[in-house]
Amino acid sequence: MNKTIPELDYTPQMVPYPEPTPAEDKNRVHYLNVSDTVWSWLFTLDHKRIGILYLVSVSIFFVFGGIAAALVRTNLLTPTGAILELDQYNKAFTAHGTIMLFLFLIPVIPGVLGNFFVPMMIGAKDMAFPKLNLLSWYVYMAGAMFFVWQLFVGGLDTGWTLYPPYTSQYSHTNVLYAGLGIFITGFSSILTAVNIIATVHKMRCPGMTWSRLPLFVWAMYATSLIQLLGTPVLAVTVLMLATERLFGIGIFDPTLEGDPLLFQHLFWFYSHPAVYIMILPGFGVISEVIPCFSRKNIFGYHAIAWASVGIAVVGFLVWGHHMYIAGQGFYLGMVFSTLTMLVAVPSAIKVFNWVATMYRGSIHFAPPMSFAIAFLFLFTIGGLTGLHLGVLGTDIHLHDTYFVVAHFHFVMVGGMLVAWLAGLHYYWPKMTGRMYNTFWANVAAIVVCVGFFLTFAPQFILGYNGMPRRYPHYPEEFQILNILSTAGASIQAIGFTMPAIYLLGSLVFGRPAGNNPWHATGLEWQVPSPPPPHNFEQIPIVYYPPYEYSIPNGLKHVVIHSLNGNGVHSSDITPKHQEVTSGS
Amino acid sequence: MAANVHDAAPVAHHFNNLQQQHDAIRLGIWLFLVTEVLFFGGAMCAYTAYRIWFPKEFEAGSAALNVGIASVNTFLLLASSLTVTLAVRACYDGQQKLVQFWLGVTIILGSLFLALKAREYYLDFEEGLVPSRKLVSPQQSSMIGEGAALAAPKYAFVQSLERALHHAGYPTEGVDLFRVQLFFMFYYILTGLHVIHMLVGIGLLGWQFFLAKFGFFRYPARYIYIEVLSVYWHFVDMVWIFLLPLLYLAGPHHFGQVISGLQQAFGLSQ
Repeated sequence: MNKTIPELDYTPQMVPYPEPTPAEDKNRVHYLNVSDTVWSWLFTLDHKRIGILYLVSVSIFFVFGGIAAALVRTNLLTPTGAILELDQYNKAFTAHGTIMLFLFLIPVIPGVLGNFFVPMMIGAKDMAFPKLNLLSWYVYMAGAMFFVWQLFVGGLDTGWTLYPPYTSQYSHTNVLYAGLGIFITGFSSILTAVNIIATVHKMRCPGMTWSRLPLFVWAMYATSLIQLLGTPVLAVTVLMLATERLFGIGIFDPTLEGDPLLFQHLFWFYSHPAVYIMILPGFGVISEVIPCFSRKNIFGYHAIAWASVGIAVVGFLVWGHHMYIAGQGFYLGMVFSTLTMLVAVPSAIKVFNWVATMYRGSIHFAPPMSFAIAFLFLFTIGGLTGLHLGVLGTDIHLHDTYFVVAHFHFVMVGGMLVAWLAGLHYYWPKMTGRMYNTFWANVAAIVVCVGFFLTFAPQFILGYNGMPRRYPHYPEEFQILNILSTAGASIQAIGFTMPAIYLLGSLVFGRPAGNNPWHATGLEWQVPSPPPPHNFEQIPIVYYPPYEYSIPNGLKHVVIHSLNGNGVHSSDITPKHQEVTSGS
Repeated sequence: MAANVHDAAPVAHHFNNLQQQHDAIRLGIWLFLVTEVLFFGGAMCAYTAYRIWFPKEFEAGSAALNVGIASVNTFLLLASSLTVTLAVRACYDGQQKLVQFWLGVTIILGSLFLALKAREYYLDFEEGLVPSRKLVSPQQSSMIGEGAALAAPKYAFVQSLERALHHAGYPTEGVDLFRVQLFFMFYYILTGLHVIHMLVGIGLLGWQFFLAKFGFFRYPARYIYIEVLSVYWHFVDMVWIFLLPLLYLAGPHHFGQVISGLQQAFGLSQ
């Protein structure tokens, strides 16, 4: 039977927003200049300003974590430790791990890009709970202060995993402060998660159906699900850990026949899904950037969207692969090994879909795309080496070696951090209204990619040959690879400094970016840059899926209507062309 | 003051209409409760693991607890769930005075719960049922210990537990009394977290009681706030419904202990 396909009307009913002339632009009120007191920033309820608050704070903590990493890498220049005492080395890598994970990787994209762009992408004026949103930043800062405080009063030497024998009452470092820091920053991510889920469910503009949500929103939604379900478990686990420090009687204390392995179970129940909290937002950014700079509809929209949710669900079932040789049952290990194979599938679906999107697209090497390509390259290596660690047999050889270190840095830095840079470069013109120097941005992408590869590729070899992680000393024959790795880290440092310079420089010297410098689809690009205080002066109505780059004159396909009266809830309206699919 | 409260716009600027705002708030509290379930769930999961490993010790620990206070507290909390629902109902019907009345009753019931709980903690503390590595000297322990135990120093906790179990008529053969501390750690963590949640709930109820005085919770504009807090309060109640069997009913108890526990709570024993 022939299905009748309605004739599509691609004539824009209304051009989104006219580009403001320079004179108009000067006088325009936007979220940055609407008020300029310190007070108005610290007590803002505007999701865009909160995003900027997050941007400033995570950048500072990134520098902190980077300095700790530099100490670790420098110390590993010589086989017996170049600059640090043994306990200082322990504290340096612990500081690097805790700060980078809890204060940078987990909040960075949800806090900055999630806060800033989720409401704009779904056509809302703000997050569902603006006060909660601001509170989440304050809670984050309060938790961060505990981390900083413990650094200054002597540091922590347990590794970021806080395993009980190290954190028992015999530990001499600041387990309580760090635990409190984790507990409090955890609440911050729960608050953000509640906010984002409620926003995505209830604040979508008319016509923004679930299958028209930008993939970044899908990714943020899946991330929030994990944060919601995982973080409280970590919080209560840290609390149970703290009792040992507070009362001298531990729940995980072997002298009472308590079980340290139980701590590892509870810890990884959160912390394995937490690696998806870190990487899923990166996936979201890449899903935005690649179709834009390939000028092609995304390949397999639904597959990517459901892969995000699939990762969120299956990610909760694989925590045991961190404990293959920690004493958990052999058959348990086999089950977890099988489940771990399963979680690789959705990630692979995404990578294939991104590559298929690029295939025969008209690729523009703008800076966000350069970073996205670096992401594809590095993340694929990171993901595939993860399989070696997920398989029970190989993991027994590779467990707790530099192979693990290299693997998760390929995913966390090569994947997440590079995706963050892609997102930052993609959205910088929208956030600040200024365009940075694209030449230097492309150079930075190359420098970061090369420096990163040089840092961590040798560590695969080191780990395979048996160099254990967290050891300050190593045999002479590993020195050349360690020197290569440290050299790569120095190049990375240059690569991360460059964006700081030209992005900040663009605030002063950058030319105005215009509404839509990348000619992207999506609601966030239809408003002036920087956006007005309430994002949309009229309620937008969405008629098409999010990545309609194949539509002629595709720029103008998102229609912003004026609605009279009190507005219409998204579920009340069935737009005319709901049948349109993303296939070209 | 009252006039201002009535005139303030109930729909926040970023919502299109009241329905959307209420839906968002309702979803928000349920999402928060999902988090809370996982929060208590983590601790209960650890509890379950240990109870499977050490069933005897957990029974013994439970036998030493005061079931009298726990029973009365259960009734208090269930009653408070009813009264907070009546507050929701009253708000739904637009009866401001009644809203305030039922909120007040809920606060009283909750506070009574906390008062009894505090009394119970105090009695536990007095009996020495607090995990610690403190030792008692042989002379002190000789008052209770017999035979070989005379010379060896004894853990204060073990001595107190022995006394409490003896009082409850629970046989201690084959029970590692020192390990019962694990049970007591869970007891203090779980009930402590529950108490913190109750304190937050009573604080918020108090704030709503104050606002209700000015007729703040008009239906439908601000009905949602009453509903949201009641949902939270029910959740706190639910947690207790889980804690009661996990902690108090894990060991054998008979009805006489309810009575004697209450006598002890109100200082009527002996």
